[in-house]
Amino acid sequence: MKKKLFSLLTLSVALVALNLPAEAKKVILTDKDARDWHVIAPQDSDYPLRDYAILYDAGGTDGAIGVIGIPSMKTYRHIKCGTDMHNFPFSGSNAGNNNGTPDGKYLYVSDKGSDTIDEVNLQTGWVERIFALPKPFGIHHSAALSPNGKYLFATGELTGKMLKLRLSDGATTVLDIPPAPSAPDYPDTSKDGRYVFSGNYYHSAVMVFSQDPFKLIKEIPVGKNPHGTNVSPTGRMVSVCDKLSATISIIDVDQLRVRKVIPVGAGPLHNQFDSLGKYVYNSCFVSDSTSKTDVMRMQLVDEFPIHYRCGHNSIAPDDAYYMSQNKFSTGLFTPTGIIFAVNFEEQDIDETSPTYGKSVKLAPVDGEPHEGRQIFATYIQRWNTGKGEDLFEKGYDLGDYHVSFGATGRPGLPANVHSQLEPTHTADSVRTWIPRDDGKPGVTKEGDVYVVRVKGFSYGYVPRFIHVPKGAKVRIIYTNIDKAAGLTKNPDVTMGFTAAGYYGPRTMIFAVRGMSAVDEFVADKAGEFEYYCQQFCGPLHLEMRGTFFVDPPGGKASMGVGDYDEMSKQDTMLAPGERQFIVGTNKLMNKLNEGSEPVI
Amino acid sequence: MKIKSMGFAFVFALVSMVFMAQNAVAEMGNGSTNKDNLQIGTIEKLGNRELTIATKFEKDSKKYTMKLHPDAYVMTGDRGVFKKFTELKAGDLVAVYGWNLTGNDYVARRIVILDANSYLIKRLDADAKAGVYYKHEK
Repeated sequence: MKKKLFSLLTLSVALVALNLPAEAKKVILTDKDARDWHVIAPQDSDYPLRDYAILYDAGGTDGAIGVIGIPSMKTYRHIKCGTDMHNFPFSGSNAGNNNGTPDGKYLYVSDKGSDTIDEVNLQTGWVERIFALPKPFGIHHSAALSPNGKYLFATGELTGKMLKLRLSDGATTVLDIPPAPSAPDYPDTSKDGRYVFSGNYYHSAVMVFSQDPFKLIKEIPVGKNPHGTNVSPTGRMVSVCDKLSATISIIDVDQLRVRKVIPVGAGPLHNQFDSLGKYVYNSCFVSDSTSKTDVMRMQLVDEFPIHYRCGHNSIAPDDAYYMSQNKFSTGLFTPTGIIFAVNFEEQDIDETSPTYGKSVKLAPVDGEPHEGRQIFATYIQRWNTGKGEDLFEKGYDLGDYHVSFGATGRPGLPANVHSQLEPTHTADSVRTWIPRDDGKPGVTKEGDVYVVRVKGFSYGYVPRFIHVPKGAKVRIIYTNIDKAAGLTKNPDVTMGFTAAGYYGPRTMIFAVRGMSAVDEFVADKAGEFEYYCQQFCGPLHLEMRGTFFVDPPGGKASMGVGDYDEMSKQDTMLAPGERQFIVGTNKLMNKLNEGSEPVI
Repeated sequence: MKIKSMGFAFVFALVSMVFMAQNAVAEMGNGSTNKDNLQIGTIEKLGNRELTIATKFEKDSKKYTMKLHPDAYVMTGDRGVFKKFTELKAGDLVAVYGWNLTGNDYVARRIVILDANSYLIKRLDADAKAGVYYKHEK
């Protein structure tokens, strides 16, 4: 008995002794650790890897918004939106940097393929309404919100136009921006309601518009082919990425002139100001780097190498991380299909961190993402924990600010309804791949089918102009004839073809070397449609343009001749029962009361 | 008469140019102005949905009184914790995002309570001590 007791005691002592070292090994957390994802403070959830911020990215060719956790970089979901998603602001106000001052209700994403803007409800995680833009417009970006959050400014890169859109009902004012060629690029608004700035890619200038009345007031010459154009959170300056000059031009907002031209890495594409306007980070495609410029010193102060070919970028709302949204993944990941996943690379930009300037995570992502913006996760409420009814009338609080969707409804959306839209991505076209087709480029007639052979290369198309009659059965055979992917030499470069607008959902095809992409559809609406490469292929990717004409009986299609009123209804984007959620169309073009629509 | 008019036009143009040049140097590069859409400073006074801050990290501190926009909210810069306006205290270091509507009334749309230990604040502080001041763009 005594022996048994002794053994039990020995065992207990041994167990306690074994536990002691385990206690001693416990990690001591420092302030620096506290912001890391795997040691975060206790949360009101038993999910151990909750993220403190959310990156929404306009997924480009996957027609979706990607929802990615920061800093874990886990993809939480994709929100189906349309054809080729590019660029968005969060609803609320534009106060601050790119991330703005969100109210957590919506984001407004441009669909370059379908020529629409989608209203995505961040609380439900679904598209709620579709803004049908006047036709022809050819949207590229919709990044600029007025300070009061009631108007959106968007660029019609494919037609040389700009528009201002009233978010309540989709009414617009559209401006023509001559002379051709004219390609309004990324827009941003001054935070005081005065100006809209937009690079004009072909004019090598930044256009300045007044917000109300919406009109062009000036063009400011900058470096070659300006792309990203962003107002600093202080509102004192605009940073412009001079893509082909390897500089950023800093425009003084008060004087509307270039204050300084700062050399950065080669091929600067996009800007991200931190939340205090101290630094601006630029993605430099050709030099494969992130440039960091101190805007108080007005000079480049650091450069971080990145993996393959950065494009867009975003910054965490607490300025701890910078996301380089890269365009190619040559050799990085397991192949999962014909088109390789592109990747996001998270860089630590906390100057006091031991990993400052280093890439801390790299993950494959779906689609070919364009703009990303980040918000704190605290903006998105937990509706599924027994308080779902509050979504409709009660709303939620952001500190003192009470946010409510209201119960009265809006144009296109009945009272107490939140729609769950899933816009189409194919619209009755048939797409296939065949062995590489070496037929001569151009249009031929085979039986009753108009066969259109298009060759894509870095950086252009043959032919540049395609004509088919209205009602034609069309078969596009698209072949990538690149030998070395132009300047980049990346073997995984894919060439895209999308005829934007009405035919966007029907024509988005991808050509990889060694095979041809085939797309069959009926050209049932007349008009002029720009086609473009939707899959980033190199620094002059934006130059890949051509025009697809569907000619009406007895005439030639043009920007003025076509079935634009009919197309502006955007019927093909949604199933018949869902079309009540489409707002806008040509009927509301130039219906804003300019000069008396306050933007602030 | 004609010469008199031309002289007047010349003097008018000269005065306008001097005025414009004076205004020009008053802006970017010379510290904050009440046109800026972001001010960083410590809270000096709190009122009824109104606060006064003294700017920091500039060569000369300036005071701005700001009214809260009806949709304004307060949060911390760390993980997006929302706060009530009444939780602000004199001495808090804050970033105020907003705009100036009339030339006098600055409207605050978002107030962020800053962490003095964050790298950006440490950097702004160290730079100011070294003579590189916030909003004194070179």
